[in-house]
Amino acid sequence: MTVVPAQQTGGGGGSSGLYDVLELVLDRGLVIDAFVRVSLVGIEILKIDVRVVVASVDTYLRFAEACNRLDLEAGPRKSPGLPEIVGEVTESGARGKSKGALSGAAETVSDAFRQAREGSGSERETESRPRARKSTSSRRKEEQE
Amino acid sequence: MSTYIYGITATSHPGLPEGVGGVGDPSLPVRVLREGGLAALVSDAPEGLRPKRRELLAHQNVLSEAGAAGCVLPMRFGSVAPDDGSVTAVLAERAEHYEERLRALDNRVEYNVKANHVEDAVLHHVMAGNPEIRALAEANRQSGGGSYEQKIQLGEMVAAAVKAKEAEDARTLEGVLEPEADAVSVGPESTGWLANVSYLVPRDTAGEFLEAVERARKDLPHLEVRLNGPLPPYSFVEPGPAEPAGAAAGGTDTGAG
Repeated sequence: MTVVPAQQTGGGGGSSGLYDVLELVLDRGLVIDAFVRVSLVGIEILKIDVRVVVASVDTYLRFAEACNRLDLEAGPRKSPGLPEIVGEVTESGARGKSKGALSGAAETVSDAFRQAREGSGSERETESRPRARKSTSSRRKEEQE
Repeated sequence: MSTYIYGITATSHPGLPEGVGGVGDPSLPVRVLREGGLAALVSDAPEGLRPKRRELLAHQNVLSEAGAAGCVLPMRFGSVAPDDGSVTAVLAERAEHYEERLRALDNRVEYNVKANHVEDAVLHHVMAGNPEIRALAEANRQSGGGSYEQKIQLGEMVAAAVKAKEAEDARTLEGVLEPEADAVSVGPESTGWLANVSYLVPRDTAGEFLEAVERARKDLPHLEVRLNGPLPPYSFVEPGPAEPAGAAAGGTDTGAG
């Protein structure tokens, strides 16, 4: 059974594969009430910087900046895979819960666009992948049985 | 000496990872405790066990080894029993339940899928699909960035649109993958991803599930889709019988397949 282990990504200490799996190890699996569980207080792995992202003025300003930098002429068609699906996807509506994740978005978006502008705008790669690390969320600390 | 438990399986399991290194530093060897038709994978519990990365990985590695060869019910990290005897006592007491779970999960593995947006792409999407936002952005740009209030107004609209897009893409993604799975378990929400969903997939048709993931990556190129698995069925073991069945996160209606 292959578990994708830590893929150390370039800067910023993200090893998404590892975190993605360990989240399951910590949060799911069988719990037997007759046994004690090791305390998860101060858990090492969870010291990932938790970006609290709420709809905040900060977020809005960053988005606005990103939009200002966005080269509309380059347009969505120039962007990798931006697609005809626009119409199709938007039609499916947007009810239901959203899984709010504007955080990293806000930060990396501006980088992405800065790069986009500096590059000629047409041949851009999406190498500015989101750096937002998942927050294995602090609430988990309270979830121990 | 207290006993650390990794998982529960059947004694008929063809590849019990006896002797494999478990938790502890240096790591303690995995032992097998048998009771009736059931076996528990255990090791001595190290003094002062903490949820460190190497311990979590050790836990996962033992279960990976066991899961590669047959069905195992993975324990959540950190379960410690007072001694071996109390482990076998629990196996005896709840044998029926564990045997049922092992049957239900036999030949099935978990794949965990997390997704987030490629931000520049989603922003383009949002702009492309929303003339009002486009106009506002253009107006702001023309006036050298716009006033504080204009920026807030624009940012708020963009944020709302991105958020709606996240929800929408999460549903689309699930729509592509769900038909290939026996069961689905939605994980905790977080700001790091727009979807965090585990799928229970028959080993035999794992290829089809993987193809569906590739399809989703192709159809939704503005998403970064991360796939982990095959894993032991962490998200599908249910709580023990002491807790009401079905209280586990998400739908665990596994028996069907």
